[in-house]
Formats: sequence, structure tokens, C-alpha cells
Amino acid sequence: MKRLQVTLAVMMTFSLLISACQGGISLGKKITVSIVYGSEKQAWLEPLVAEYNAANHKTAEGSTIVVEATPMGSIESVDAIIGGTMQPTVWSPASSVYVPVANAEWRKTHSDDLVADNPKDLVLSPVVIAMWEPMARALGWPDKQLGWADIAGLAVSDEGWAAYGYPEWGVFKFGHTHPGYSNSGIVSIIAEAYAGAGKQRGLTLDDLNDPKVSQFMVAVESSIIHYGVSTGFFADRMFERGPSYLSAAVMYENLVVAQESKRIEGTSQQLPVAAIYPKEGTFWSNHPYAILNAPWVTAEHKAAAQDFEAFLLDKPQQLKAIELGFRPADPSIPLTSPLDPQHGVDPAQPKTVLEIPPAEVISAIEALWKQVKKPVDLVLVVDTSGSMAGSKITAARSSLMQFISLLDDRDRIEIITFNSDLLTLTDLSPVSEKRQDAITRVSGIIESGNTRLYDATLLAYQELQDKADPKHIRSIVILSDGQDTASEKTLNDVLAVIGTGNLEGGNAIKMFTIAFGDDADKDILKQIAEATGGKQYDSTPENINKIYSEIATFF
Amino acid sequence: MHTPRANWAIFILYSFTVLVIFVVALISPALRQTFYAPLRDWILPKPKPIEISVLYSTEKEAWLNEVIADFEKSDARVNGRPVQVTLEKMGSREIYLSVLDGTRKPDVISPASSLQIAILQDQSAGKFPVPVVNLADRQSCRSIVTTPLVVVAWQERADVLWGGNPNSHMWTRLQEAVLNPQGWNSYGHPEWGYLKFGHTDPLKSNSGFMTILLMTYNYIGKTSGLTSADILSDTAYQQWFLDFESTITQFEQSTGPLMQKMVAYGPSTFDMVAVYEATAIEQAENAVGRYGELRVYYPPATVWSDHPFCVLNADWVTPEKAEASNLFIDYLSSKPVQEIALMKYGFRPVDPSVVLTQPGSPFERYTANGFQADLSGLPTVEVPSGNVLNTLLEFWSRNVQR
Repeated sequence: MKRLQVTLAVMMTFSLLISACQGGISLGKKITVSIVYGSEKQAWLEPLVAEYNAANHKTAEGSTIVVEATPMGSIESVDAIIGGTMQPTVWSPASSVYVPVANAEWRKTHSDDLVADNPKDLVLSPVVIAMWEPMARALGWPDKQLGWADIAGLAVSDEGWAAYGYPEWGVFKFGHTHPGYSNSGIVSIIAEAYAGAGKQRGLTLDDLNDPKVSQFMVAVESSIIHYGVSTGFFADRMFERGPSYLSAAVMYENLVVAQESKRIEGTSQQLPVAAIYPKEGTFWSNHPYAILNAPWVTAEHKAAAQDFEAFLLDKPQQLKAIELGFRPADPSIPLTSPLDPQHGVDPAQPKTVLEIPPAEVISAIEALWKQVKKPVDLVLVVDTSGSMAGSKITAARSSLMQFISLLDDRDRIEIITFNSDLLTLTDLSPVSEKRQDAITRVSGIIESGNTRLYDATLLAYQELQDKADPKHIRSIVILSDGQDTASEKTLNDVLAVIGTGNLEGGNAIKMFTIAFGDDADKDILKQIAEATGGKQYDSTPENINKIYSEIATFF
Repeated sequence: MHTPRANWAIFILYSFTVLVIFVVALISPALRQTFYAPLRDWILPKPKPIEISVLYSTEKEAWLNEVIADFEKSDARVNGRPVQVTLEKMGSREIYLSVLDGTRKPDVISPASSLQIAILQDQSAGKFPVPVVNLADRQSCRSIVTTPLVVVAWQERADVLWGGNPNSHMWTRLQEAVLNPQGWNSYGHPEWGYLKFGHTDPLKSNSGFMTILLMTYNYIGKTSGLTSADILSDTAYQQWFLDFESTITQFEQSTGPLMQKMVAYGPSTFDMVAVYEATAIEQAENAVGRYGELRVYYPPATVWSDHPFCVLNADWVTPEKAEASNLFIDYLSSKPVQEIALMKYGFRPVDPSVVLTQPGSPFERYTANGFQADLSGLPTVEVPSGNVLNTLLEFWSRNVQR
């Protein structure tokens, strides 16, 4: 009897093993399709990636396809690919605008284009200027078509909204993302250059040398409250903080639809928002799905990536895109609700587009923008208390040095370190005069003593109040690894002082705080940052460099 | 238990039935097929199929994929051997280039038009003992479905530009309009920006090739007898042509995607595009209720995408394969298959018994969009020799290609 039982058990184990092998469960091969994509489509793509992976799709070779998708600024990601720090299978930026530049850069070290053939579009959304509806109406919208020139006019006006009978709205506050990181940033500055040159196509390097182009760009950029890494973040800030923070920002139509859907459902209490389709023309955010023509993309990778592409372009997935405010790439799907005026958008727009300039012109516009962008007056506040000893102080030093190297010559910085004492390493003055000196000083900071976080914060704030140019972006970046132990002032003192900035809305002094290590008081740092419209980051010695780099995108 | 007597009766009945079936099967071909063939297949080795490979242009993909299954079911045979077709889609130019450079040895090729056959005929002369294709031989090279090149436009804008239908100067008028420094402003519509016209990459897609051929004929003022000298020596033409092309910043690689973009992006991106009539039909329904009315305009003289199917005159195409190929091409010319091409894919059948305007056909449904069944009054330009066509492509490739 026992023998029979043993035999049965052996047979069952065997059959289980065989069925597992046949099913390919856990024993089968896998192929990973890595995708870096413009973060604007995260809400659409993320659930679809999960759905696709759960269905265990296979390649012809029998490998299970695993999609790993990472949201990232469209320009930042391709820079990383060209720089060799990232090797994804697919690059899906927010639009095709930067593809010629990416190819030109790639060809410096390769014989072929990085993005060969014309990639297919996944979803569409026009680039729009999102403006609070009452403000748009004050400008004559919807009867009057508005454009980039109107934005420039508002931006240079000292009177701001008072000129339109609304002094309570203050000055015109405008936003677009950083062109070095994000697609909407690059298209914003291309559109500014076109408007400055009075053209809609055929923009040349000669046009960019015409002073009227840079003057126009200076005018628009003067109203920027800050730049930023992603369009989604900008939209969140605008729709959370309301009209006093930002009057208008360059974003995508789908983000307006998403916000209006929230407002209609009652989950947002803000004023309505209107999508303005610039009358001079705009660009499409067409979310191309570029399977990279790169040595690390094998034929099987390509086939697997195409399988996922087909899934995304299939009707059910395209229909989901409409719900989120995108226009589907599949023309057989009608443009229905929520793509309607109730949600702030006009599906019959845009009426015309601007021509995508050649790579060298786009690069020249980026260079020109660096000269005309709004400079930052920045105070860097660094905790040098005793608890920073070891890897923390080493990482803090090197990341600060890297951060200073990212700033532009016209930016001005001051550096304050704090422990039991407050020490000003260098006063507020242009980076051009002291970049190397500041880097050297930072390389020499040492740790000891207590933590006077509040006193240091207030000192930095006072310094900017007294010395900064109100026409510059004004900002404080604070790094701290512990709780305040020795300040004369309290958190309430700090919040009371920085709260007075609220009257300036988006132009207030903004604080970015970095909670460094596990002992940092994240909650307090968050309160300080958010009171100003800034942002709080959690950081470790391993990623502090990345955090500083992200903060740099605001300037 | 049966009795021995009953067993005996059952045996006789059984034997008799088997005998009857055997005799009937020998006499009746239908039954022979039913009973004998499976038996034969079971006992004898299967005859080796005759495999034919077909390289075809992408426009026919959906139609061919739909009808191939029925061909396989029809059990077409040559010398008792079944015919097996391998279809492979490819760009029209790629098809003839791959034959010319020897990388592919298909039995049948079907590019989008006779333009590619003319080039292949011309260029294969030095490379093969005999020309691999011969358009003049109607038996080996036959057009199976056709569709003319058209211009598709947003009607609101075309009305402003042409005020009805374009006249014989369509291309020259269009060239002036796309280059007009004031754009649509000159026509009272500053909000439309510049007039944006699109066609596909002539090196990758036949419709782009046909477009530049029509533009060239129209400017030179001919409908036949285009020469290489017309292209290479006439500087006024060159200037005119290159100016026209300079307004197109991106050339799509294929006609279907260009038309899809026209519909998905709307008039902001393309006011007008040059595509096949069949491609326009495919998107006619999708365009409804989107960005206004889409309308097709027939150019003053057109050129046809005539989808020739040519059995190659090459040593790898054995007489058996040639015969099998012809069976397949005959099948594609048969009425039911031609009707599918018309009703579902908007192609014009070559079978004259298929009525274009029959109920439910696209030519009946979309007349309001300007589709015309009867194009007998529309002149067709002459397809120049392969040599001249190649000159035109080369000229484009050197001066325009991006």
C-alpha cells in the first residue's frame, strides 16, 4: 500500500512539473521592452502596461514580453540615451519636434539615425496656452483669437491685469517648462522665436540674430514664475494653487480636459480653465512610439515592442485615451466628450500649426533662450551640523558643486551653511564672477555642532528680500539632515514670515527643501516648501545629485 | 446474444452495403472524391505543393489577406500538385530594387503601378539575359485592380482656393498658393496660416512618385512624351518644382498613414494631400463629424495606380510555377474577389461586369464627397520610359530628399 502511495506521489510531481514546463510558467524565457516616455501620458499608459504584462504576451521565439515603462522629460530622456546612460528599447517623447535634433546629435557618433522611419503616433493633443477662463475672457476670448503676441504684450506691461480692469489679479504670471528637459518647454521657446520673427514657417539662423527676436523672447520670459521639469507638474501646480499663482501656462489640451473633468465632478474647486490655441499656430504633441535604431535593440526586442505598440493602438486602448482628454491616433474613433467646450477645449481647433524648424535652428533657439531666460537669484542653504559626518557631507559637497556648474552666468547665488552658527560662504552675486570660487568653497565645507534650521531659513529669506531683484526668479534651496536643535526662532516664526509672500502669488520667493537621510524632519521641510509653492524632496547620499539636478530645472 | 442465423444475416447485409458503396464510388466522381481521395492521401505520399512567392505593395495588404484563404480552399492544382502562395508585402520601389540586386527571387511581383514595372523593365536589361518583366505581354503582366491619384482637401478650404473644382492649372495654382508669403491671409483667412500640402516620399511610396510625375507634366504642359531633358535642362521647371517641394517638411513613407494623419490632425496640419482614390475612400467614413467635410478632387490629368501582377520572366520561375502563378492571378480577377476589392477597399475592379455604382458601393455612398465612378472623360498621362522615370526620381532624391 505504502509503495502505491509513493508511486502516485512521484507521478503527480512529475505531471505537475511537465505541465509547468508546457505552460512556460516561471521557467520560460523573458524579453524586456523598456520604454521611456513623456510623463504627460502616464495616466493612460501605466494601467495599460500592467494590463498588457498580466496577459503574458509572447514573441515568435516564445519569450514572454515584459514591458517596463518609465516616465521622464522628453528632452532629458533622449539626452540620457545619446549620452549613453540609458539604453531603452523605445523612446516615446511628447512630440516629434525634437526628433531631428536627437538624430543630428546621434549621428555625431553613429552612421545612422537614432529614430529611423516615421514612428507611429500613440495619441494626440495640441499644445495650448491654458488660462483661467475669466482672464481669457478679459482678453476678449472667445470672440477674439489670442496668440503668442498677446502673451508678450501682457508680460511686458507693468500694469498687468489692471490694464484690463482687473487690478486684483496683479501682474501677468506665466509658465512653461524647462526646454532642456521637457517637450512643452522646447515648443514654447520655438513658438516664441517664430512670434518674435513674425513668421510661421521657414525660421532661419539669420532670423534668430535679429534683435527683435531676442527682445520678444525676453519680454515673454520676464513673466515666467519659474521653469520646471515636467508639464504635468506645472499643470498640477497651476490647478492646485489657482490664479494668484499662475495666470497661464503652456501645456497640452489633455491636461485642460483632465482638470475640467475634475472641476465638473466637484473634486476641484478652482475657476474654469480655457485652452487657448495660439492664432499664429501651435504644435501637436503626437507621442510618437520610436523603437530605437540602436545597437542594443535586437530583432526580438523590436518584434516585442511592435506587439505592445499594436496593443496600444487597438481600439479599446484608444478609447481610454479619449476619456483622459487625448485625441486618439486612430482616425476611426470620433472626437467625442470630454473633448468639448464644456471641458474647456475646442475639438475644431487648432486651425494651423507652426513648421518644425531644422535641427540646427532648434539648437540655436535653445542657445538663445539661455541668454534671454529669466535669471534666478538663489540662496543655497546647507546643513553642516555634526550629524552630516561621513558619506552625507561628501555627497552633499559633490552634488552642490555639480549644481553650481549647471547654473547660468547671469544667475546670482549666495551660499549659507548652518550648524551652531550661521556662516555666509559667499554673498549674492553673479555666477559668472565666482563660479570656480564658489565650487572651491563648497568643496571645503566641514561638519560639526548643532542644527539651526529655522534661523538659517529666515536669514536666507531676509537676504533675498533685501538684495534680490524682483524681476528675477527668487529661490532658496535648503538641505538639512536633522531636526532643529538650536534656533532662536521657531517654525511658526518661519511660516509667518514666508506666508507674507502669498500676496505675490507665483512670484513669491520659492523654497525647495531636501530632507537628507532618515533623521531629517520631512514634515517640517514639507510645510516650509509648500507654503511658498516650492517642493520638498526626500534624499539620500546616493541620489542627492539627481535631486539637485531636478531642482535646477526650475531655474 | 444473437442467434447464429441472425449473425449470418448481419454479415450479408454488411457485405452488401460495402459492395454498393464501392461500386457507386467507382462510378460517381463526387463520391470518389469523398471516399477515395482521403484513402489515397492516407496511403500514398502527398504530392509536393508548388510554392509561389508574391511580393506585393502594401496598399493591397488587407484585400489580399482577406481573399487568400478562399484561394487555398479552392484547391487549385497544377499537374495534380496543390498551389501554395506565400504573400509578402513591401514598398513598391523596394520590390523592383530587390529583384534587380538579386536579393529576392519572387515568382510574381505586384507593385502599386506600372511605373515600377517600367523602371524594372528598363534596368533589368543589362542584368538579366531577357527583361524580367514585359508590360506589353498582357498574359504575363496584368492589372488586377486600379485606383487613380486624387487630391483630398478640406472642402471649406478648397472652396476658398478653387471656388468649386480646380481647373486645368490645378498644380500650378496650388504651387502659387503654398508659396504665397501671405498664406491664407491672401484669401481672407489669416487664421489658417500657410496652405499646407502633402504627398508621400517618392522613393518609398508610389503615390508620391505619381504626384511628382503629375506635377512635372502639368508644369511642362504635356500629357505625354516626357523626356529626361525636360527634367534636367529646364531650369525654370526645376526652380518651380523645388520651390513647391520646399514647403513640405516631412514626407510620409506610405500613403495610408498620410491619409490617416490628414484625418486625425485635421486642417491644421494638412489642407490638402495627394493620395489614391481608394485610400481616400477608406477614410471617408472616419472623417465625418471631425474637422468638416473632406472632398476629393481629380487632377486635370491623372495617372493610375494599376496594380499589375507580373509573373517574372526569370530562370527560377519554372513553367509549373508560371502556370500556378497564373491560376492565382486568375482567381484575383474572378468576379467575387473583384467585388470585395470594390465594396470593402474602394479599388476599381478590372472586371467590367462589376458595376461601380451598385448599391452599397463606395461610389454610390460617397458621391457627395466628390467621388466619381465615371472617369472616362479624365485624361491620363502617358507613363514615360523607365529611364525617364528614374531621372525624375534621381532628381528628387538629389535635391529634395530629407
